[in-house]
Amino acid sequence: MSEIHLQGGQRKVGEIHIPTWQERYERVKDALIDAVQELYKSKTAFIGGMMLVVLAILLLLTPVLTDYDPTKPDYSAFLEPPSVEHIMGTDRYGRDIFSRVLWGGRRLVVIAIAAVVFGLSLGIPYGVLSGYYGGFADSVSMRVVDGLLAFPGILLYLLIVTLAREWHLEGFWNDLILVFALGFAFFPEVARLARGSVLIEKQKEYVEASLTIGEASLYIALRQILPNCMSPLIVNATVRLGFVILIIAALSFLGLGTPPPTPDWGADLSAARDHMESNPLIAIFPGLAICYTVLAFNLFGDGLRDIMDPRLSDR
Amino acid sequence: MLIYTINRILHMIPVLFVLTVVVFMFIQLLPGDVIDTLIGDEEAEDPATRELLMKEYGLDKPIYVQYGVWIGKVLQGDFGKSLVTRRPVALELFESIPATVYLAVVGISISMLIAIPLGAIAAVKRNSPTDYTAQIVSLIGISIPEFWFAIMCVLFFSLYLGWLPSSGYMSPFEDLGQSLKYLILPAAAVGFRQAAYTTRLTRSSMLDEMNKEYVDTARSLGFSEKKVIYKYTLRNAMIPTITISGLQLANLLGGTVVLETIFAWPGIGQAIYLAIIDRDYPLIQAGILVLGVIVVIVNLLVDLLYRVLNPRVALN
Amino acid sequence: MSKENTENGVTEKQGQTRREFMTKTGAVAGAAALGMSGEANAAKKRHPKRGGTLRFATRSDSRGLDQHRNYYYYVSHPLAATSMGMFDVDLKMEPKPGIAVDHTVSKDLKTYTFKLRKGATFHDGSPIDAEAVKWNIGRIKDPKIGHSFIRSSIKDVESVDVIDSHTIKFNLDKPSGVLVASLTYYPVQFMSPNSVGNADNHPIGAGPFKFKSWKKYDRTVLERNENWWETDDQGNALPYLDKIVGFPKKEDRIRLTALRTGEVDLIENMAYTDAAGFDKKYGANFNTWDVPQVGTGYLGFNLKNGPFSYKNPNGKMMRQAAAHAINHEAIHQAIFSGLSETARGFYSKASTWHMPELERKYEYDPDKARFLLKKAGGMDERLVLTSRDAYAYMHQTGEIAHAMLTEAGFNIQHEIHPYAVLKSKWKKGEYSIDSTANSYRPDPDRWFSANVLSTSSNTKLRTGFNNPKADKLILEGKRTLDPAKRKEIYQEVEMIINDELPMIYTHFIPLTCAATKNLKGYEPAFNGPYSTHMSGIRTAWLG
Repeated sequence: MSEIHLQGGQRKVGEIHIPTWQERYERVKDALIDAVQELYKSKTAFIGGMMLVVLAILLLLTPVLTDYDPTKPDYSAFLEPPSVEHIMGTDRYGRDIFSRVLWGGRRLVVIAIAAVVFGLSLGIPYGVLSGYYGGFADSVSMRVVDGLLAFPGILLYLLIVTLAREWHLEGFWNDLILVFALGFAFFPEVARLARGSVLIEKQKEYVEASLTIGEASLYIALRQILPNCMSPLIVNATVRLGFVILIIAALSFLGLGTPPPTPDWGADLSAARDHMESNPLIAIFPGLAICYTVLAFNLFGDGLRDIMDPRLSDR
Repeated sequence: MLIYTINRILHMIPVLFVLTVVVFMFIQLLPGDVIDTLIGDEEAEDPATRELLMKEYGLDKPIYVQYGVWIGKVLQGDFGKSLVTRRPVALELFESIPATVYLAVVGISISMLIAIPLGAIAAVKRNSPTDYTAQIVSLIGISIPEFWFAIMCVLFFSLYLGWLPSSGYMSPFEDLGQSLKYLILPAAAVGFRQAAYTTRLTRSSMLDEMNKEYVDTARSLGFSEKKVIYKYTLRNAMIPTITISGLQLANLLGGTVVLETIFAWPGIGQAIYLAIIDRDYPLIQAGILVLGVIVVIVNLLVDLLYRVLNPRVALN
Repeated sequence: MSKENTENGVTEKQGQTRREFMTKTGAVAGAAALGMSGEANAAKKRHPKRGGTLRFATRSDSRGLDQHRNYYYYVSHPLAATSMGMFDVDLKMEPKPGIAVDHTVSKDLKTYTFKLRKGATFHDGSPIDAEAVKWNIGRIKDPKIGHSFIRSSIKDVESVDVIDSHTIKFNLDKPSGVLVASLTYYPVQFMSPNSVGNADNHPIGAGPFKFKSWKKYDRTVLERNENWWETDDQGNALPYLDKIVGFPKKEDRIRLTALRTGEVDLIENMAYTDAAGFDKKYGANFNTWDVPQVGTGYLGFNLKNGPFSYKNPNGKMMRQAAAHAINHEAIHQAIFSGLSETARGFYSKASTWHMPELERKYEYDPDKARFLLKKAGGMDERLVLTSRDAYAYMHQTGEIAHAMLTEAGFNIQHEIHPYAVLKSKWKKGEYSIDSTANSYRPDPDRWFSANVLSTSSNTKLRTGFNNPKADKLILEGKRTLDPAKRKEIYQEVEMIINDELPMIYTHFIPLTCAATKNLKGYEPAFNGPYSTHMSGIRTAWLG
């Protein structure tokens, strides 16, 4: 962490260094190696990371691993128990649960990532600029954020998703709206966090140093402060990925999730309530998939926090 | 401190303004309207009737006028009438908010009862099997979809073991004993999830405290290890825990929709959710506003409490 | 009014002076008033052993208390027990005397004269006289107040004349032989005119139970109406129960659990997956009933615009293709767990209007579906299948129908919406097929006139079906009194529907309710548990 600070301070006055491709490659490589080494330090992050790697491999290989169309019913195979043909059995419409779990996961993880990235890309500039400029603009923009944060619980999600679902949208567009809704609801938190970090960073010498050499203020805000307040945001975003998946499940329970037949863990788990006593196996696989993925993101995020928070580094 | 408090209270006004404007905007955008749900479809919709009803409900005016009228009435303490039940919104809120507050407060208390000892032990016995168990259990707690966890709880504790009623609500003023019986399962479902966050938080703030100089000083002065940990460290470590629990409480007020639906708990979350589906505009607006006010006030109190407990913050 | 009705129904039950009336031609001659006085005050005694508090878990809660603004859509909601209308219904779905004990019909079927029950009162003690009935009809007919479902039941009623305190005349604007069926409770339910100011907080009706309290999403408490006029065979006052406490429990699993743990005595509406095996597994401790239902699921087409519509010259071929794509047996198994039956017409076996000879004209044949679709050139049309979110079977049927249509080559998407959104989509014609269901239409006129007749607002709003022959038949059915003749007429309409396909009937909706063995004397009926003549919850008790 502290090395990065120095970089900012050490920059030579009046000289802009453009890194070559070679340097960039080296830098990325070093960063990656560092990251893996760091990860290894924290057991939780390592376990979480491994779980995520396994998940990523499974989801990337989904087209190879599955033989069945996840949305195609088989009228001769309702509610089949797990077998060689259907490793996880079939649901009430005779659809292969294994296919649904994998295809659903692909979709869900992409939505979760996209939503979080969207929330970050909206919240970070908003928070950073607000914190950097301060004054009246800051006051106004933070009141907007506070207003959104004052929405109790998941009611903001409820409102946005109700609205989004009831527009005439389909398939991909529906997913996009979900991304937008979940990301937008994440944005105030990010903005808050980013602004807080900026306020702390602003006090530090390197910013003042840059100011004295007359660099454009926007440049300072984005180029220098931003990287230094990323760590709490990254941790937050990782944990958020798991949270988003749970929110989608909760929305499905309330009847506001993905419209069928699109495979979706939350919707499938929610639909499996009917079979809880008569056919409990149907519920187990989407349920496990959710738990596994959310747990992986949580472990990883938790570990990252340990690594990135310098105060905790010795633990 | 006083100036700070007044300042914060003044800040609440624009926050609530933003909140209400956003709610109004969303409601305006929702497709379909309350007249449709009230009239049904068996009889031809007479445009004149529609107009009359729109007028009766004040929906015929432009949105900013509606907002102005509404806010004016709210300032006089009038939340209007629910369009669906036609009872005063204040009555609907009065019936449903206490149930949610009851659930949330007890749920948070349960979470603190679980989380503080568990987090403290995990921190003291860092990297021991106890620590890992506490961490993993708490992580699993927040990795299970809420509705699933709740239904499993019902099946296990009420159907299989027969210990507790499966669902329902009774006011504590009616019969406290019965009321608690109904409360246990939903509150435990709330508490367990919240405990997952709080345990982790307590553990890390405990570790923070244990690394501080005063702990070493105390030890060198010959205080027993137990006394050092439980008297000084834990007390300080609880400050952030209490803060976060306060914030969780505020968040829970609108966040128990799912549990309310499952446990047939007549709370405000469920009421607002169903009002959104029914397009019961006054109830949505007033419900979210009142909850928003509670959230903002709880946040403020937590903030003030934090300053009292931790005087260094005030200096900054 | 059907012949059966006048012969066996209204008059026979009373066991007192009466005069039968009917004519061979179908036109009905006038009948005189009956000596019903004193009936309500007949020496009534409480059954010494029967009573208790019934705890009843329903799926939904009522949306409000005003009896004219709300139609207690979920008829099993306890609030329905507080209200009463002109006629009751018995287990066979035949009208029985309620507030009205007898009636006469004019030859032209345009004037109905009703004799009201003497001595009957609302819960506040005010008499149910002709003035009160007139006031109620007037309030229901006010489009600003009366819910359209209630209002439409009496839309033919042009005016109401009070003859004397217990005689009232309904004047219709067009001939109708079905007014009595339309006036059966529910939905045309009456409230005390004095209570109108507080109707949203404390309804005062005339039903077997009195309103005590209602807390939304929590509970409804009702008390026995001591002045209820009905008695059992031995002259004991009905209802037996002292109290009903209703709990809305939305989750199927929770409602069932509450029954099994003994928290409630009776539940309505089990998930089909549970209902299918329940009796076998738990029959020793619980009674289950298949409620006789007239509820039918169907896929309605949008004939107003889009590829299935009249605007498309190949619209009918498209609809035929869709019909061939639907595998009814799969719906029967997958959605309804093998309960009830697939539908070929609107009326299920529970109804006297069931037509067993009806045939599905376009059977499941995916190859034919594909062939017709190609021929009609509809492969590339983007279609929307909408489903109602209210009940799982509606969107589950939508989901499986979507898969079937996709398999047959339709380019279709599935959307699930609440009522408010669906209605705005119907208005704008933004859908191609709608997966829905319809219920509570004991008399066929209530179904065909509302959803098939081209001039009906519901038809215009939804399918937009327009078939002059069907229209003619439906209007004829309304004027016909002979039930056998009427059945023929409606069967012909059903055949037109199965050919022209404004909708595809899919399935008769099963409904399973269950109770602990403690609940005695209960028998569920089509019209909900409260409104059944000498049956249902009125004759139930806890032992």
